[in-house]
Order: sequence, then C-alpha cells, then structure tokens
Amino acid sequence: MTARGATISRGHRTGRRLRPGVRVAIYAALIVTSILMIGPFYWTFATSFKPAGDVFAAPPKLIPNPWTLQNYRDVFTLLPFQRYFINSVIVTSAIVGLNVVFDTAAAYAFAKLRFPGRNLLFFMLLITLMVPFQVNLIPLYRIMVLLHQVSPLLGVDTYSGIVLPGMIQVFGIFLMRQFLTSIPDEILESARVDGASEFRILRSVIFPIAKPAMATLAIFTFLGAWNDFLWPNIVINSDTMRTLPVGLALLAFRNTISVGPTMSGTVLTSAPMILIFLLMQRRFIEGLTAGSVKG
Amino acid sequence: MSDAIALPRRRVRGRFRKVLPAYALIAPAIVSSIVFLYIPIAFSGYWSFTKYNGLASPKWVGLQNYTDLLSDPRFLKALLNTVIFVILGMGIGPVLGLMSALLLNQAVRGRGFFRTAYFLPVMTSLVVVATIWKVLLNQHGIVNELLGVVGIPAHNWLGDPSTALVSVTVTSIWQGFGFETVVFLAALQSIPSDLYDAALVDGATAWQRFRYVTLPALRPTIAFVFIIGIIGSFQVYDQIFVMTSGGPLNSTRTVVFDLVDRFDSLKYGEASAVAYVLLVILATLSFIQMRLFEERA
Amino acid sequence: MSRTRPVTIAVLAVFALIAAACTSSSEPSASDTSGSQEPVTITVWDYYGKATPFQDSVIKGFEDKYPWITVDHQGIGWDAAQQKFAVTVSAGNPPDVATMDMTWLPTFASNGLFADLTELSGGQLNGAPIEDSYTQGALEAMTYGGSYVTMMFDFDVYALYYRADLFEQKGIDVPTTWEEMQAAAAKLVEGDKYKFEVVPNDCFHWCQFLFQGGGSLLNPDNTEAAFDSEGGLAALDYQRSFLDDGTGVLWGTEEGDSMAGIKDGRIGMFQDGPYWMGLLKDGAPEMKGDWAVATAPYSTQPGSYLGGTGLSIPVNAAHPQEAWLFTQYMLELPQQIGVYEYAGAAPATTQALNSPELNKPDPYFGGQAPFAVFLDAMSTATHFPYVSSWSDIDTEIGTMVESVMLGKSEPQPALDGTAATVNDLLASG
Repeated sequence: MTARGATISRGHRTGRRLRPGVRVAIYAALIVTSILMIGPFYWTFATSFKPAGDVFAAPPKLIPNPWTLQNYRDVFTLLPFQRYFINSVIVTSAIVGLNVVFDTAAAYAFAKLRFPGRNLLFFMLLITLMVPFQVNLIPLYRIMVLLHQVSPLLGVDTYSGIVLPGMIQVFGIFLMRQFLTSIPDEILESARVDGASEFRILRSVIFPIAKPAMATLAIFTFLGAWNDFLWPNIVINSDTMRTLPVGLALLAFRNTISVGPTMSGTVLTSAPMILIFLLMQRRFIEGLTAGSVKG
Repeated sequence: MSDAIALPRRRVRGRFRKVLPAYALIAPAIVSSIVFLYIPIAFSGYWSFTKYNGLASPKWVGLQNYTDLLSDPRFLKALLNTVIFVILGMGIGPVLGLMSALLLNQAVRGRGFFRTAYFLPVMTSLVVVATIWKVLLNQHGIVNELLGVVGIPAHNWLGDPSTALVSVTVTSIWQGFGFETVVFLAALQSIPSDLYDAALVDGATAWQRFRYVTLPALRPTIAFVFIIGIIGSFQVYDQIFVMTSGGPLNSTRTVVFDLVDRFDSLKYGEASAVAYVLLVILATLSFIQMRLFEERA
Repeated sequence: MSRTRPVTIAVLAVFALIAAACTSSSEPSASDTSGSQEPVTITVWDYYGKATPFQDSVIKGFEDKYPWITVDHQGIGWDAAQQKFAVTVSAGNPPDVATMDMTWLPTFASNGLFADLTELSGGQLNGAPIEDSYTQGALEAMTYGGSYVTMMFDFDVYALYYRADLFEQKGIDVPTTWEEMQAAAAKLVEGDKYKFEVVPNDCFHWCQFLFQGGGSLLNPDNTEAAFDSEGGLAALDYQRSFLDDGTGVLWGTEEGDSMAGIKDGRIGMFQDGPYWMGLLKDGAPEMKGDWAVATAPYSTQPGSYLGGTGLSIPVNAAHPQEAWLFTQYMLELPQQIGVYEYAGAAPATTQALNSPELNKPDPYFGGQAPFAVFLDAMSTATHFPYVSSWSDIDTEIGTMVESVMLGKSEPQPALDGTAATVNDLLASG
C-alpha cells in the first residue's frame, strides 16, 4: 500500500496519529486472529509432509520430523493428477469467463436501467438460490442425458455438462448489482446523450470502471467452481474428464482415507487459489469499491 | 385529435425500444436460470406432491408429504437446529467481519498479509475446513489443550449433544467471516473522507462518527451480507456431514441434512417437500429483508 | 419482432426439454446381444478407490477372454457412489455392473433398481449352481423378494482384534464369553490406555451384541420390531458395562479415525471387519506382532452383522448379458484372491476363502491365519433385514444406542420407545 497521504484521497482511513497503545492493541488483535486463521491450514500443510505413521501421532507434531515428499509423489502416481488439474483449469476458466461477462451485463440492467418487472425478475432469480442443489440433481442430470443424445459434445461426461449449469450465477449478479448501483448516473447519461447504445455503454463505460469489481467476482466464482464436488461427480463418469475434487475423492475408500496423499492433494488443489488471491488481493479489495470513488 | 391518439402509441413504442436493451442484457441470465434451475425446481415442486423413488412413476399424494413433515419430530428438530445455527452465525459473523474490517482499515503495515490471512479459510473448501476442525476439537486435540492452559476443562465438544451444534457453528463462523471482512473493508474504503471531516468539525466522538457516518453508509452492504448470508446459512450441510453426521442424538441435524437423508433413501417426494418448505421460509425472509433495507436505497 | 422471437424459441425449447425429460424414463434397452458376438462396450463401476481388485490387468484378462466385449471401467469415489448410482439409474443412463455396499441393498432392492440375477444367471455361476459358491448366510444376504439381486463379492463380519502382546504380558486369556470379555478388559486397562473401543452410534457394532445375546432385529416376517426383548436389554447393558467400568472408551464420529487411538494405545481391543487387517498393516506397521484376531465373545451364540460388497446389475442396464459374464469373471478364484491382495478385504466366495493363499500364517498377526476366524464368523453372521425403511430404522437404532451410551436415557425405556417408532416405520413402509 502506498503512503498515507495518497490513500486518504481514495477514501476514509483513520490513518492519523494513533496513540501507541492503540496501535499495539490493533497489531496484537490482528496477529492473534491471523494465527487462528492460518493455524488449521498450516496443520494441513505440515501433515502433507509427514510419513504415514506420523499422521496420527499424538501429541500431534507441529513440525514434521522426519519429513517426506512421499505423499506428493503418491498423489501423482496413484492418480492422474495432471489430467484432473487440466480439467479443473479448463472448466473453471470457462465458468469464470462466462460469469464475469454475463453476470455483469445482467447486473448492469438490474442496477441502472429501468424496465417493467425489474424487481420481480430479480427476486425470481434470487429464489433460485434458496433451493438446495441436491433437489435439482436428478432433473438436471436428465437434461444432461438428453443433451448428450442431441450431441456427444454436450451433456453427460463433457466439459459442457459441468460448465453450462454454472455459467451464470445469481450470486454473481447480486454481487455486481450491489457495486454497480454506486456508479454515478451522470456518466451514463452523458454517454447516452452522445448516442451510445446500452451495449456500447456496457462495453466502454461499465466494464472499464468495474474491472476491479469483476476481478472480485472472478475470484469468488473461481473459488466455487474450483472446489465444486457434488455436480461434477454426478455428471462426469470418465476418469479422463474428472476435476480435482472429484479425482481426489478416489483416495477414500469406505470409511478410511489415505490421509497423507489427501493432505498433499488438498495443498496442491488449494495452492492456485491462494496464489491468485495473494497476487490479486490488492485489486480485489480495491475492486469492491468500484465506481464509488470520487470522480 | 389525431395527435392525441398518436401520442400514446408513440410513447409506448418508444418506451418499448428503450427497455429492449435491458431485456436483452438479462436474457442470458433468465434463459439459463429457466433451463438449469427453474425446470429442475419445477420438477421438484411436482414431486413434492407425490411419492417418487426415481424409477417407478410418481404417485400423487397431495399434501401428505407436507403434513407428514410438519409432524415429523426429526424434521422439526432439524428446523430448530438450523434456526439456531443461522441466528448464531449471522449474529456473530457479520459483527466479527465488521470489526476486522475496521481493524484492517487502519493504516497498518502488512495489510496485504493480514487480509490474506483472514480470507484464507474462505478459500479453503468447507470439507477440508471441517475435517481439520474435527481433529482440532477432538477430546485430546489442540483446542482442549489450549483451553486447559487457561483453566477451562477439556470437553468432548462434538460428542456432547449440548455442545455439538455450537461447536459446528463456531467452525462455520471461523471459516466464513473472512468473506464479510473483505466485503465490509471494501465498503469502508469507499466512504468519502469529507463526511468524516465534516463530523470532526462538528465535534463528533469516534463512536458518534461510527454511528452516524459509517453505519448508514454501510447500509446497502449490510443488506447484501445479511440476505446472502441467511440464504446460505440455512442451507448448511458440508460441515455437518463431515463433523457429526447430524448427531449426536440429532443435535446437529439440519434441514439440508434431513433433505439429503431422504434423497439417499430414494424418497424424492419427501426430499422435494423439505426443499419447498425451506424455499418458502427463505423467500419470506428475503422479501422482508429487501423491504427493510432497500426501502431507501 | 426481435423481442418475441428469442422468447418464442426459448419457450419452445423449454417445452421440448420438459416433454423429453418426462419421457426419458427407465425403459430397459431393447438390445440383447448375448451370444451374438457383436462388439459391445459395458460400463463397470467400482468404489474401491485406488486399491481396487478391478486392476487394469484384471480387466484386460476379461477382454482377452471375451474379445467382442470392451470394458469401460471407472473407479467411482466411495463418498458419492450411492447417489451416483441412484441418479443414473433414475435417468436411464446406468452402468452395466456396479459394486454395491450390502447396506444399500434394502433401499435399492425395495425400490426395484436391480436386475433379477436368478433369472439372468439361470441359477448358474461359472458352471456350477450359485449355491455351491456361497455360505448359507451369504445366499440369504443376496436375496430379495425371492431372487438374487446381487452376487457377494467381498464380505464384512466382525471379530475381536486384541493386543496379543499385552495379553501375554499380563497373563490374560483370550475371552470367549461376555463375562470373560469384561474380565479381560478389566485386566488389560492401564489408566487411560488399552481400553475396549465402544462405538455408540451405528447398528454394526451394537447389533452384533444383540445377536450374540440371542436377540434379533425384527420378527421373522419383518413386520415388527423384536430388538426390545431381553436380548436387546442384555446387549445394551453389556455395551454400557465397559463405559461404566472404565474399561471402555467411547468412540463416536467426532473422534475421527480410530487408527489414532490404536496407535497411541488408547484402544487395546476393538471389534471390526476383515479389512482392518489391511488397515493395520498399512497404518500401523510398527505394531507388527502385537495384534491377533479371535471370534467375538458371545453370551448365547456367536453373532455379528453380515455385510460387504456385492456386484449388481441395474434393472435398466444396457447390456445385462455381458454384464453377467463380467460378474462371473470377477467371481472366479484368481479375481477373488485379488480382493484380498489389492483391497485387503475378504472375498465372499467359499472357494476363495478356503484357498491356501488366504490361509497362510500371517507374520503381522504373530503367525496366526486370521482369515479362518472371519470365515468362522461368517457362518454365524446375520444380514440386516431387507425392508424399504431399513435406513431409517438403522438411524433410529443408532440414535437409541448413542443415547443410552451417553447416559441420556435408560435402556428399557429407550428400547420401548424406539421399537414403537420402528413399528410405525414398518407399517408405513
């Protein structure tokens, strides 16, 4: 983050002189909670380096000793991990890309345009969030079977089978609508006066301003799609099409799990997200303030 | 005369053309929702009035599934547990989120690191989080050890019907409040500082600044957090499945857990009825919230 | 009008989808290619995970034997295998052969998801009557509504695993009756260590005590609860006694995997199935020679639940004849031995169980041949009643046992209350 002077103009920060005692208290609170936040995740990370016998050692070892890469090797030899990874990347990228575009478009309409039935339609979309996904499993699967009969490129056991139901998410529309409402109407009005169509406005005015917010949407959507288990597990049969969470589940059998490889599989699966977040977290936070920033 | 008649027509047609782009923009969302969400939801609606096992033809039973549900003690307990979970979670989560956001909003160094730390649990899949916490909350796990240091006796948190639900709730709050933190933090940073300057000039205390500048400015964000949060919390499932399987003694059985149970028993009619009861509850709550919060939006 | 056209198309598409989905029911495929030698691909699902008896080499062996059949074999994760099977059968898109946990049988069989194997097989398995390949208990477990709905592939019964090293050290005799078991537990315990694992919330563990006390779950025609008898009371008292005496450790879901307790010594005895032999060897190799297996002690007669894995063919499978060929192949001796070799589980056919490979002395268990114990237990094991409400009944019983173990209710009232609930479930079934 930049110097205090530059940031004050961006928005409110109580960056002025804090009494030393308060500063210390704030840091202490932040550090303690951070430890609480990271701790359990650290345990997964540490366990992924423990040899099989040590996984359940009591008292639990904080630092793996001895440590081994065997669990990571196992993940790659026991499962076609690279294949799962690629599948996850393809499917998740498609879902994220489609959502960012279409959710924002719809959100723009709901946030900034007036049309009959606006509130009702939005509420109808919101309703779809209120039904647990399990109930949709069977009908949705049947639709996929149908699609597969129409074309072998669609439906069951294809990328489209995973991507299509998730390509537009109401949560995303809600999120974007929330931020787009704070864009000053004047900007849009002046564009309209200049003769721009709504599509033009979306492309040339909204997208640029909302880019950071769209990055936020991208991260949330990525999270959901990357970790999704239930639907991909049902719609995909072939091992070659599986995504990471579904593939990793193969390490379990009945009530027992191979803890070591499961931990390392988890670390490998979570790593991309954490990396992306670390890289983008600045934009991510900034992004949530889309448009509201002074002119 | 002809003008008076022509005018309305032109106005209608003009208005039509004006709203057309709006409909075009929402069309993909609407169509996609219809095909992949509304059709399945409609099927479930139909099945909720039948006995259906997925294979044989559905057998119409009218409202029987619903009346059975409302007199089923296990379902009612599930409903009660879920309500407790939501009240606890949505009572504490957003508060923690706001507090953390306020903390992080201070000009502290390493802000990026702290933000990542808070968001880390949100980024990890619920199943992993639940698995980890299950081990931590063990009778001989770290949590009890640490509590022992402070003098609190060890307890079988997940194995005791009176503490299991709270323990699962704590895990969920831990995992989820990073989301609220991030959302509130962004909102805080978008409050124009002139508002605070003006308040200072008027001699407002820190508390008054919070109450009269910060909170009102956060109103739409609070609305979003609560609406989405309540919809999500009511559907809690993954943590329950991993940590307690609805026990002990049904003390952590939630509505969606009940639904999946019936689903696995191939009782799709009953499962659908559970889903619709949930839908009615959530729709009502959301409607009320939207009225409350967005009145002045 | 550019507005209505897309809408009209959408509406028509929706109607088409609805109409099609309504009719996409589960009609069995018309093709019956048995003996016609036309190339056929069958889909086979198993949930063994990576340690599967359905190894690529095994599959290839089948394809070599039947060159016109190609096998699309997929390992399906255990977690959602049940759901996946139900959903795909319901949508008319099922596998041809799938592994079934025997505890899923009541639900699936009573809803008609399985093909009739008696009919499909003509009563023959690999050239001999089916009855020749299985024990009586297994045959009963494979039957629903008068026909076979599954072919048992691996089996699960409970026996007693105990710390033989400590038994020897402390001069404890291997218990054969309940009283001896309680005495042995008392001698074995050392503070917080070496207790008997008491699993409170499922019917697998408690039901064995019910059977051992001469009780049964339901009456012979499965219309009424029968576990609220003296046998049930005795079973609850017996299980509780370990907790009351301090010789037992309560191991609920929240405790997680019992491997941890085994390794650090909290558990000195436990009762579980044959696959724990493999688990111990993998997870606790340092305990080699410490453990041994014995028949679970009983009061009236030896008893255990009988479970395991079966191979089933969905009622609407695309290629049932070929599926049956594959099923038979997996039940041949080499493949059955593979069940133990690869998955560490116990094969279900008597031929495999009596084979020399499976009856070698096992160094991990101090030179004992542990399979003999399980084989023995299998002949006295009882499978769960196949009623459509079994999974609800299972949950009710589990809750009841848990409640009594946690001290939240007294045995007799708990039994009575649960019996009443179960009777309701059976009536509304």
